[in-house]
Order: sequence, then structure tokens, then C-alpha cells
Amino acid sequence: MSKNRTIIAPATVPGRGGVSIIRMSGKLSKSIAESMCGELADAWRFKRCSIKSRGGSKIDDGMVVFFKSPNSYTGDDVVEFHCHGNPTIVNLVIEEAVDLGAVVAEPGEFTKTAFLNEKIDLVQAESVADLINAQSKTAVVAANSSLSGEFSEQISFLLDGIVKARVVVEANIDFPEEEIDVSVLESVKEELQDFHAEINELLSRVKEGVKLRDGYSVAIVGPPNAGKSSLLNLLAKEELAITSKVPGTTRDLVKTSVNIGGVLIEFVDTAGVRHDPEGPIEEQGIQRSKEVIKKSNLCLLVQDATTVQGFDVGLGDFLTVLNKSDLLEGRFSNTDNTFYLSCSTGQGVEELLKALIARLGIDEGEETVFLSRQRHEISLRSGGLFLEEAIMSLSEGQVLELVAESLRSAHSALGDIIRPMSADDLLGEIFSEFCIGK
Amino acid sequence: MNKYDVIVIGGGHAGVEAADACSRFGVKTLLITHDKSKTGEMSCNPAIGGIGKSHLAKEVDALGGLMARAADKAGIHYRVLNSTKGQAVRATRVQTDRDLYKAAIQDFLSSSPNLTIKEGSVVDLDIKNSTIKSVITEKGEKIFSNSVILTTGTFLGGVMHTGLEQSSGGRIGDPSSDKLAQKLRGLSLKVGRLKTGTPPRLNKHSIDWSLLSPQPGDTPTPLLSYTSQASERPEQLNCYMTRTNQKTHQVILNHLDESPMYSGLIEGVGPRYCPSIEDKVMRFSERDSHQIFAEPEGLNSDLIYPNGISTSLPLKAQKELIKSIKGFENAKIVRPGYAIEYDFFDPTGLKHSLETKTISGLFFAGQINGTTGYEEAAAQGIVAGINASLRATNQEAFELQRDEAYIGVLIDDLVSLGTKEPYRMFTSRAEYRLILREDNADMRLTEKGRKLGIVSDLLWQKYQDKRDATNKEILRLKKDKLKPNTPEAKKIKKQTGEGISSNISLFEILKRPKVLHSHLPKGEITLAPNAVDEIEASIKYEGYIKRQKIDIERLQRNENTPIPKHINYEKVVGLSNEVKQKLSEARPESLARASRLPGVTPAAISLLMIYLKKERKAVG
Ligand SMILES: Cc1cc2nc3c(=O)[nH]c(=O)nc-3n(C[C@H](O)[C@H](O)[C@H](O)COP(=O)(O)OP(=O)(O)OC[C@H]3O[C@@H](n4cnc5c(N)ncnc54)[C@H](O)[C@@H]3O)c2cc1C
Ligand SMILES: Nc1nc2c(ncn2[C@@H]2O[C@H](COP(=O)(O)OP(=O)(O)OP(=O)(O)O)[C@@H](O)[C@H]2O)c(=O)[nH]1
Ligand SMILES: [Mg+2]
Repeated sequence: MSKNRTIIAPATVPGRGGVSIIRMSGKLSKSIAESMCGELADAWRFKRCSIKSRGGSKIDDGMVVFFKSPNSYTGDDVVEFHCHGNPTIVNLVIEEAVDLGAVVAEPGEFTKTAFLNEKIDLVQAESVADLINAQSKTAVVAANSSLSGEFSEQISFLLDGIVKARVVVEANIDFPEEEIDVSVLESVKEELQDFHAEINELLSRVKEGVKLRDGYSVAIVGPPNAGKSSLLNLLAKEELAITSKVPGTTRDLVKTSVNIGGVLIEFVDTAGVRHDPEGPIEEQGIQRSKEVIKKSNLCLLVQDATTVQGFDVGLGDFLTVLNKSDLLEGRFSNTDNTFYLSCSTGQGVEELLKALIARLGIDEGEETVFLSRQRHEISLRSGGLFLEEAIMSLSEGQVLELVAESLRSAHSALGDIIRPMSADDLLGEIFSEFCIGK
Repeated sequence: MNKYDVIVIGGGHAGVEAADACSRFGVKTLLITHDKSKTGEMSCNPAIGGIGKSHLAKEVDALGGLMARAADKAGIHYRVLNSTKGQAVRATRVQTDRDLYKAAIQDFLSSSPNLTIKEGSVVDLDIKNSTIKSVITEKGEKIFSNSVILTTGTFLGGVMHTGLEQSSGGRIGDPSSDKLAQKLRGLSLKVGRLKTGTPPRLNKHSIDWSLLSPQPGDTPTPLLSYTSQASERPEQLNCYMTRTNQKTHQVILNHLDESPMYSGLIEGVGPRYCPSIEDKVMRFSERDSHQIFAEPEGLNSDLIYPNGISTSLPLKAQKELIKSIKGFENAKIVRPGYAIEYDFFDPTGLKHSLETKTISGLFFAGQINGTTGYEEAAAQGIVAGINASLRATNQEAFELQRDEAYIGVLIDDLVSLGTKEPYRMFTSRAEYRLILREDNADMRLTEKGRKLGIVSDLLWQKYQDKRDATNKEILRLKKDKLKPNTPEAKKIKKQTGEGISSNISLFEILKRPKVLHSHLPKGEITLAPNAVDEIEASIKYEGYIKRQKIDIERLQRNENTPIPKHINYEKVVGLSNEVKQKLSEARPESLARASRLPGVTPAAISLLMIYLKKERKAVG
């Protein structure tokens, strides 16, 4: 069986809700799981446990099960953690395992391992290839989107800095006769310390970023009496919000989280918006609706299909819901952005939800967005550790070849995020910086 | 009949190693070269080693090669570069006596068991069905062999430039190989042009040495070869240093329009790292001075090699330039500097065995593959020699990996990536630099060489002695403990500042950065200096080496996955057209090699892996 890496990744689509399964495959799986959960039950048997970090603090209560090679999904030793469906917990479990020697899986790597271990039969081969191909495409898109703008600029800046440091260090090693000013090594150390601080700051921002993007929020908005609260109740399958014939019933925000196709989505019912609110309370309610609209990923603009009204609050991305379709006579049909619905009969809800999921971009690609973001975080972290190591060697009487080795590793860790560089490129930088040769 | 197992064409540094390796291997070998008396000639500066290069020379030595042994018989000035840094980047450089070096090489070859040397010029190759059959000399003689190694250096279509004058030649005083070049240009191989240059030579007696600062060699004087004795070394000389100045730079600027490089006469690409003094002055205009090493060409030679002022300006300008330099005011130019342009073959057309992909049995080694330097040539020569012998005896090719030797890095870089400039070795090209050291080339390679049958009994014995001694010593270091407050502990504290607070093994103490083997209590085993280096390096680098080993292991699996010769990349589902094209052109021999091609992504490798697996199953 494959003797190489031990890989880990969430096996369920991320989101807050229900149970999350994290799968780990490879030689180290069992020992990593045992350091996190204590001794495991016999193979193929669940064990209730506390998942702990090495510091001893509890990450979560959950279950763990060990699948012994070759009778497992991948054919290697596999461990599954079943924990609460909270992305932060999932992150912590993965981070802990990575600290213990696992690496975050590449897109499709579990399937690939399964294939290589001949757990998947040959007929499926082509489709596996297609899968990896498709996933690597979305991974590119995902990497770009999760990296847009500022973040990648900062990585770029860090990389430039590391390359400059490497140029000085490598030139000192490969060209000791070329009168390279040794005092530059001092400034290299200072710069590396700055970069290290920068990485730590980036890391904390990446972590926040992960949290911000892990849930979805959908605002239900529209004119009074259109049936917004009724829609919320329909989705929650529970009478959470008061509904009535009286326009302006809802004043406070009512929120509920609903698990739709494995993804947790928060719906927020808002006060109906009209031009002449009756009294300050309703006015305040409308104000809040506007704030919710701003924070949400998507709005559902609910209209009474029999009396569609103008609605002039700025919405970001939105779908129009034409409610009370049970009152309509004759034929009607949905378009890409408009959906007929009856909260009374429930007719049309399926189609609306399907469109909603698609519009939020929750599909297979989402897993790769999540994974690639996580991989970026890990690359950053190891980049930071290697820099720390380089700074230490520089302080300890300059063991230059070890400084160089740490910098090479830091470079390749960060380079993985945006742009790898070959040894020959690096030499090019050295030659353009220093006057070298005989 | 006129038939040999292997024919080597060219008696340069690649050629002599190739011929000798074949002969030691035990196949009937012929070396054909223009001029027997110039076998082993150094075209440029008579120095062997330097950073990255000494590593190559020692690896060739560890495989039983000639270069390091010859250098020790001719070495007149030794220095260890980077001696204040760690073992991995320390490098020995030897200034040799040009004539002694050549003599040593010729001496070794004359006693090489299965080797015939023939004077002549090869003008044609007989190739049938994409397979080499025989070589043809200028006299029309046809000599047969199924394995031919071409090591013709800078001689193919060689053109020399001094100022705006040009003449054809392989190096000063030697004719170029134009007929052979023409023949090769007609084959299915990609040809390119490169250039390199050399400074003027000065007369020793015309230099005012009192104005130069002496640079003595290192004491104790090191040796380059694992088997040389100190007694084989000739007398040691000093090198000297001087510098260019503002006036020198002005001379160059005044004559720039007469430089073949700057007037556009030379189309070949020169190396980025070995710029002519013209380049240096133009590109680094902020520097008002560059250093020059005045190096003797030999014990009895009147020639001085001014290292650092390679130029192709016209002779008149060269004279002015030399005059402007401190100590060279009255120096006489014996031979002007020149630049040379020559043909090379795109090395991506080669397999890792250095056999051409398109013509079976035809091997290329040395400068013909786009490299520069004696050591780079020798390294390829020995590998080509081994592989031509293996082919002649119907055995599988011999290859070295990137984590095994600089030779592996060199060949893999050339064959996978090709080169746009004359390729020279640097340690920064090696990702496993901490493992590939001067002190352990024998530990890495000698056993392999012995298995091939090309390692002498002397080297084999030395290797075994060193291996056993280091193993014993490491055991001792692990076993022997040091107690706090003993005289030994106090001595270490005094010498290194490292205190010992509890019982601790010598091995653990040696892990501390400031502690050297020499600080520890002595054992009974006598160790050679390079054995001590090896012990220290393997202990001090331990953590880093472990990390590199994990990397290597990961790569190994791909390294061991061969890609069939006739794979049709069109059939691999999911590959982009760009990747398909790259792979079809390069035709890498293993997955790992495919992964090192520029533009081939990890996803593409996964797809390829799956395809291969499927194919193999379908067949098996
Ligand atoms: C002007 C100049 C400057 C250089 N400067 C440097 C430098 O600064 N630093 C550095 O490291 N290296 C330098 N080199 C490069 C170094 O000399 C070469 O890299 C090295 O010698 C290459 O070895 P080789 O065995 O490939 O070829 P060579 O040493 O060139 O040997 C080729 C041999 O093949 C023979 N030959 C050629 N054609 C035929 C034929 N048709 N039939 C029979 N025999 C043939 C020739 O006679 C010669 O013996 C320089 C070379 C030159 C010419
Ligand atoms: N026939 C029919 N009546 C509906 C439907 N959906 C909601 N209603 C009725 O419409 C009225 C208003 O519904 P709500 O859900 O309170 O409307 P709202 O948009 O929340 O109103 P405000 O909170 O006042 O802004 C209630 O009497 C509901 O019973 C529907 O699909 N069909
Ligand atoms: Mg309401």
C-alpha cells in the first residue's frame, strides 16, 4: 500500500450543521488519531471520545473509527473523526493532525489513492481522471478567488523579500571570492524578522477570513404582507415568526438556520419595507432590514404575486419570489431570477432552493475552495516556521548553509501559494545583483 | 577487423574519463583525438575545483575517475573555499601546472588496460536505421563500433574572435571540426550556438610582483582525490592579487565599439556568471574596481593567467587595458584573450544515460552538451563511458539521481530543462546540498562504482577503511558519556563555552553548533580529515537531512515509475494541449522526471499516473 504521505481532509461539505466527518488516510493515521483521541476501538468500530490537542485542551466530543488497511475507502489505514459540524472545530482537528505529521489532501487525492491501491475498478478509471481534472480546474479558480487582491499581493511581497534574502545568502555560498559585502547579512536578519511578523499577521487574517466565509446568510425582504414570515416558517418547518393579514406584522429580525443539502444557511426574516411606515418602531425595523441586506450573501425579494409593488431598497445579489401563486389563475412559469411560490401549499419551494444553492455557489467546487484556503493557511504556517528557523541559524553564528536551507524551504512553502521558482531563476537573480565571474 | 566495443571521439576532459571508464569496465576501447600530445589539455585556466565543481571532481574520483588524481599530481596551489562555513559548502580549488596535469592524464591512459589511442580527426559518422555503425576519419579509414561517444568540446564549428577579427578554430592553436559539425547539423538533433572567452596571458617576468599582494595556499595543504598521497604533490606556489581601476574602465568604454560582443558580431549566448571585463564594466557601472588573481600556469611556465579580465577586445585595446593595472604597467601580452563561438546540441535530446534519443548507440558528453568547465565535462564523460560499456555488454543503463550526486543534478538539469547559456555547476542548483558533500562523495558512490567494476582495489580498500572507522567512531560517540565537572567537560566549556550539566553522550554534545569533533576526548581510532568532516556533518545537519530524506522518499516512488517509450500523450484523458506538447517533445523516462519539466503541473502528473496504471493493468 502507499507508503507515502498521510493525508487529511473533511469528507463532508463544510458548513455549520449536523455532523462533520474528517477523513485521514495513510500510515500515520492510527498513531495520529491515538494521540488525539486515546486508544482506538477495534477496527471498524466506533468509539466515543474527546478529541484533544497536544496541549491537552479539548477540541470537541465526538466519535472516531479506524478502518484497517486494506479494507478501507482508500485501501490504506483510514481514520474518520465524526465531530460537530462547526468549521472552526473541523479546522482545529485538521490542524492538530497536521502538526502530528499529516498533510492536507490535494483535490481528489483520496480517490486517487483508492484508485492506485486498486480499490476502484478499472471501468471507473476514466471518470476518476475526469474528476481530478475538473477539480484541478476549480482549484485554480478557487485559488484565485480565495486569493484575490490584497492577500496575494502580500504573499507576492513576502516572496520578493525572501528571494532577495536568498540571493544574498546563496551568493555568499556560491561566490565567496566575489567581494560580497558580508554586512548585508545583518540586514537580511532584520528583514526576515519583519517578514516573520508579517506572516503571523497574515495568518490571523486568513483565519478570520475562513470564519467569515464559512456560513451563508440569506435575507428575506420585500413589501409588507407579501408572505416573508410565512416563507421563513415554511423553510424552518416550524411557526417561528408571527404571520397575519395586517401589514407591518414583523418588526424584529427573526433568524433561523436551515440545513439545505448539507449546507447550513441562515435565513433572516425582516420587516416589510414601505414608503410611509406607521410610527418609529416600524421605521426602526426597516432600518434593521437594510443592515441585514448589506451583510447577507443573497436576498430573497418576496412579492405578493397578485399585487407586485415597487421596491427601492438597494439589494446586492437577489432572487425574486412571487408568493401566493395559489391565488393566480392561468399559467405561469419561472425564469432564471423569478420563482413562483405558494407558502400555503408549499408548491415551488424545491425549485427555489435549488436556484438558491446554485446562486450561492455551493457545489462541488466549494470543497476545493475550502481545502485550498486551508492549504494556503498551512503553507503560510510552515513558511513562517522555516523563517523562524532561518532567523535562529543566522543568530547562532551564521551557519549559512542551514540558513539557506531554511530559506529554500520557506520559499517553496510560500511559492506553492502563488508562484514557484526554479534554482536557475534564482541564479539569474544572483547574477543580476552581484558582479560575478572570472 | 577494425572494430571496437566503444569508440570515444575527442581527448578532452570528457573524452579521457569516458575512455578510461570503458577500459576499466573491461570493454575494448578506442580513443580518437586530433593530437595525442594534447590529450587532457586544459583550454583555459589550469585550475580544477571550486564551489560545486570540486564536488563533481570528487564524485568522478569516487567512481574511480582520473581528474582528481591528475590534479593532485599537478597541484601547485590549494585552497579550501568557504572554509569558515559548514562541510556541505566547503570546496577545494587546485591551481595546477598545465603540463604536469596533461602528463599525468596521459600517463594514466597509457597504463589503462583495454585502451587504444589513435591520432586522427573524425569527419563522418555512419548511421543506419537510426543506429550508429562506424566512424570515418579524415584519411577515409572506417572504424566500426555499436557505441560511440562524441566529446568534441568547443571544436564543432568553432570560431574565435579577437576584436573584430575572426578565425576558425577549436581553441587557440587547434583546428575546428567543421566537416563533422556539418554532418551533425544534418542529423535530427537540435543545434545551438554558445560562446565563452578567455583573458590574455602575460609574461611572468614582465610583472612587477612587489605591487601585487600574495595569496598563499592553505596549510595544511588538502588533496583533491580520495587516494592521492601528499608526497605526489609538486612544490607549492603563491597566487597574487591586483585590481582594475577607473583608468582600466575608461579604456574599455573607449573601445567598446570594437568588441565583437557589443558590436553584434557574436550571436552565441555567453554565460551569465562568467562575464568578460567588458560586461562587468557595462553592467556594474557603479563599481570602480574589480579584483584580478594572477595565477601561474605552471612551475616552469612563463605564463601568468590574469583571472578576472576575460576579454575579446582587439589586441591594441587589450595592451592599453593591461597597462592601466597596478603591477602590470610593463606587462607583456604573450597571447591575446579571445572569445570562441561553437555548436552545441540541445541536451534535451539526450536520455539520462547521455545516449541520444534518436540515434541508438551515439552518446554525447562534455561541452558539446552545452556545459562549460573541465569538471562538468569529466562528470558527463564518466557517465557516458559507463553507459556505453553497459550498452556494449547488453546491460541496463546507469543513472545517478539528484539526491545521490551533483553528477545526477547536472545531467538531470541538462536533460530535463536544457540550457540557454553555458551550464556551470553551483551548489544552489542542488536541492539536497546538505547531503551532497565533498567529504562523503566516496560514501555515496564508491560502492556503485565497485559494482560496475571500475573502482580500483586501492580506492575500494580506502573506502572500506574509512567506512568502518567512521561507523566505529560513531558507536563510540554514542556510547561514551561525559560527566559534569570532569577535566574533559571543563576543557569543552573553556574551548566552546558549552557547559555540561548532566551525564551526556559525546554524540549529543557534538550536536551543539559550537562543539567540534576535535574538542571531544579522543578515541583509539585514527580518522582521516574527511572522515571527521563526515561525522561532524552528519550529526550537525541531522534534523535537516531527515527532512530532505522525507522529500526524497516522496519523489522516489515517482522516480521508480517508468513512462513507456512509445506512450501517446493524446490518449491521456484530461491533459491540456500545452502539457501534451511538452511531454511529447521531452519524452521523460519516469514520472518524477516528467514532474520536473517546466509547466507540468501536479494535476497533470496525477492524470498521467492514472493512465499508466490503467495501461499496465490492461497489459498485465
Ligand atoms: C577559450 C576558452 C575559454 C574557456 N574558459 C573557461 C573558463 O573560464 N572556465 C571553465 O570552467 N571552462 C572554460 N572553458 C571550457 C573548458 O575548457 C571546457 O568546458 C572543457 O575543456 C570541455 O571539455 P570537453 O572534453 O567537452 O572538450 P575539450 O576539452 O574542448 O576537448 C575536445 C577534444 O576533442 C578533440 N576533437 C574535437 N573534434 C574532433 C574530431 N573531429 N576528431 C577527433 N578529435 C576531435 C579535440 O582535439 C580535443 O582534444 C573554456 C574553453 C575555451 C576554449
Ligand atoms: N393565499 C395565500 N396566502 C398567503 C400565502 N403566504 C402568506 N399568505 C398570507 O398573507 C398574509 C401575510 O403573511 P405574512 O407572512 O405575515 O407576511 P409578511 O410579508 O411577513 O408581512 P409583514 O411582516 O407585515 O411585512 C398572511 O395572512 C398569510 O396567511 C400564500 O402563499 N397564499
Ligand atoms: Mg412578517
